[in-house]
Amino acid sequence: MKIRKLLTLFGSILLFGAVFIIDAAMKSLDADLGNFTAVRGALVILAFILGTLYIETLRKENQLTMIQRIGRIAAWAGVFVALSIIASLLRFNEFETRAFRLFPRDYITILFSTVLSIAAGIVSAMTMLIIKDMLLYKRKKGTQRNFWILLVFFLLASVTTVNLRPLEISVYTTVFFVLAVVMIIINSFRLSWIAYLSRREKIYAMVYALLAFFAFMAINILLSISDKPFLAKALLYFSYPLHTFVQLTSLFGAVYFGMAFISTLFHLPTAEAFDRKQTELNSLHNLSRLITQVFDLNELADTVTKMTFEVCEAQSSWLEVFPTESERKSPHSDNGIVSAKNITAEEIQTILFGDTTSIRSLVFSSKKVLLIDDVSSDRRTKYMTKLKNVGSLLVVPLVSHQNLIGILYATKQMDFGFDQDDIEVLSGFADQVTIAIENATLIQKSLEKERLQRELLLAQEMQKRLLPQTLPTFPNVEMQAVSAPALEVGGDYYDIAILDDHRVGIVIGDVSGKGVGAAFYMAEVKGIFQSLSKIYSSPKTFLINANQSLISSIDKRSFISLIYAVLDVSTGELILSRAGHCPMLYATSSSIEYITPTGMGLGLSAGKLFEDSLEEKKIMMKTGDVCVFYTDGVTESRSASGEEFGYERLMSVVEEKRSCSAEEIKEEIIQRVWSYTDAQGYDDDLTVFVVRWNGAPR
Amino acid sequence: MNEFKISFRVSGKVHVMDLKGYLDAHTAPNLEEAFQKLIKDQKFNILVNCKDLAYISSAGLGVFMAFIEDVRTGGGDIKMSNMSPKVYNIFDLLGFPMLYEIFTDEHEAVKKFDAKKQSSK
Repeated sequence: MKIRKLLTLFGSILLFGAVFIIDAAMKSLDADLGNFTAVRGALVILAFILGTLYIETLRKENQLTMIQRIGRIAAWAGVFVALSIIASLLRFNEFETRAFRLFPRDYITILFSTVLSIAAGIVSAMTMLIIKDMLLYKRKKGTQRNFWILLVFFLLASVTTVNLRPLEISVYTTVFFVLAVVMIIINSFRLSWIAYLSRREKIYAMVYALLAFFAFMAINILLSISDKPFLAKALLYFSYPLHTFVQLTSLFGAVYFGMAFISTLFHLPTAEAFDRKQTELNSLHNLSRLITQVFDLNELADTVTKMTFEVCEAQSSWLEVFPTESERKSPHSDNGIVSAKNITAEEIQTILFGDTTSIRSLVFSSKKVLLIDDVSSDRRTKYMTKLKNVGSLLVVPLVSHQNLIGILYATKQMDFGFDQDDIEVLSGFADQVTIAIENATLIQKSLEKERLQRELLLAQEMQKRLLPQTLPTFPNVEMQAVSAPALEVGGDYYDIAILDDHRVGIVIGDVSGKGVGAAFYMAEVKGIFQSLSKIYSSPKTFLINANQSLISSIDKRSFISLIYAVLDVSTGELILSRAGHCPMLYATSSSIEYITPTGMGLGLSAGKLFEDSLEEKKIMMKTGDVCVFYTDGVTESRSASGEEFGYERLMSVVEEKRSCSAEEIKEEIIQRVWSYTDAQGYDDDLTVFVVRWNGAPR
Repeated sequence: MNEFKISFRVSGKVHVMDLKGYLDAHTAPNLEEAFQKLIKDQKFNILVNCKDLAYISSAGLGVFMAFIEDVRTGGGDIKMSNMSPKVYNIFDLLGFPMLYEIFTDEHEAVKKFDAKKQSSK
């Protein structure tokens, strides 16, 4: 690329230099090239072709806007005109005319005409290249073809003059010249770029086009008038084809930019509307992009009010959002302003709540766009007349699935400030905003949900640690326990405490309800159990004291069912009390029964009533006896048909397996409950605690 | 999901609620709302007929506990009747018969309410 650039540049300079030397030599010999005129002409044309190629490579490097293009052409043409006029004003010895030929009187004339000709060539080439770009903007089928035809006629008209003496005229040239002018007129109607300029740009385009028009007209006049000024003579002397080409180009420039000027002038009145459409389009486009990017409601709201400004040139704008159901219901609930531009909170307050039937309540009930053309005289807005800078008001509800999720407001200072266009645009805009807000709210919700999920997992982890990680082992007692919460956290609890060298306390319980609330009470029960069991060795006394501790802190609709049993590992004596909990299942080698001492749940009643309800039972376990503690998750587990697992089934499972180890019994119960509930899984927390007595130690 | 329905009746000066279906953590709020409504209207003589109550969970039991204090302070009571053995067993295990009067038949309960009215006059 670089080599090509250098070659074209130096090639053309070299050729121009050669032509200059030839001219100078002819002058000094006072001779005529005669039949070699055509060779010199070819050299000149070649030099210009190389020059044009060089300019073309330069141009590709900087992409210009339309305005810059016209401006640049106007500047180049203007400078060239100035140059020509200065050259003419110098009035040096110019040329003498002999036999249709021009003979320079001195060397400075040769230099001047060479420089001026090269400048004319450059300006022409630039003009053609730039006009070509403008023609091909938003090209249609014939656009490019028409330009090429024009160029061909330009070249034909120019080339047919190669053999002519400077002051001769040929018929061919005239014909091609006329055809070229026809093509100029045809091409000059390709002005589609004007429509896409903004109003501001159009004004610039007009000024530049007018300047360019004048510049090209000036060149034209300088080249065409009969009493030929220096420019015309210089070009004719230097190269007749160049003269023709420059003449055609300047004509093209004049016609094209003249047309551009007039066309822009006619486009000007609609420029504002076009500008607005452009802004609307941009805003909507930006908003669509925002929807996928902005998840923060406040950030979104700020953009929305800003865009409302742009879209309908409002005086002020604000946005209300009602993210929750309750806020959607009442038109008198607090406002949900998330963003306001150019208006104070007090003013908004007046507009929204200044009257019991404020415009806000109207939109709440109708969910339709509301336009107040003249705030001061409209019946519906009489209450806000003291607001001086609100002339007209547009209220657009944001409706999603028949729910009003927000309201967008825009005001203008003048009365009748909003036209039909504004309403349509803002309504369309509101639809987009609705989607954006819905999106943002949903994402907010899912983030919130994720956070809760994490906290629940944490709670689950904590709760697992409240249950004994391992149970103590004794040579003659097997103990096995399992607990599975229905939700992330449950209300089932079991624990064990070593009371002294031969007794252990066993507790199993169920907090009413499920979830985090139940888990809190469970933690409290654990604390109570671990402290009170060491103090009160009688199960009944333990429960009375536990109830006292709990009753003050427990919610009145919650309660805790509990069995507390104290096992003497040296004798097999088991003493238990029950506080509202499922009865313990007791299986010996010959019998099986539910042990149900009376007793109400903890937290139901204080003092004497509770105390009187409690019973204490004592069992002397014999070798191979089994005690099964459990929670209602076992007996109340339901099959697909809705039937409960029940006490009978539990009893038969234990009866079947009573000679097995504690672990096997526990496993069997869990397996049976599981297969009974089938795919439904647990619908309650489920806990099983099995104790098997293997005889007194020897 | 399991169905739960409450219907209201008036029997003399007693407001009777007929419960039907499964009363668990999901349906307990309905019963809570029903009690709130009665208490708001100063209707303190409440009889809960459990004839068609198939199941009650701890959350359901909790609802009774939540309102008994208010009702008794208001000079009335919550009584229950017509429980199936299975439902009674749940109430019984938790010690509810010590806290509430539970009748096998609705008429007895209504009579008991009336008798109390008489004596208090």
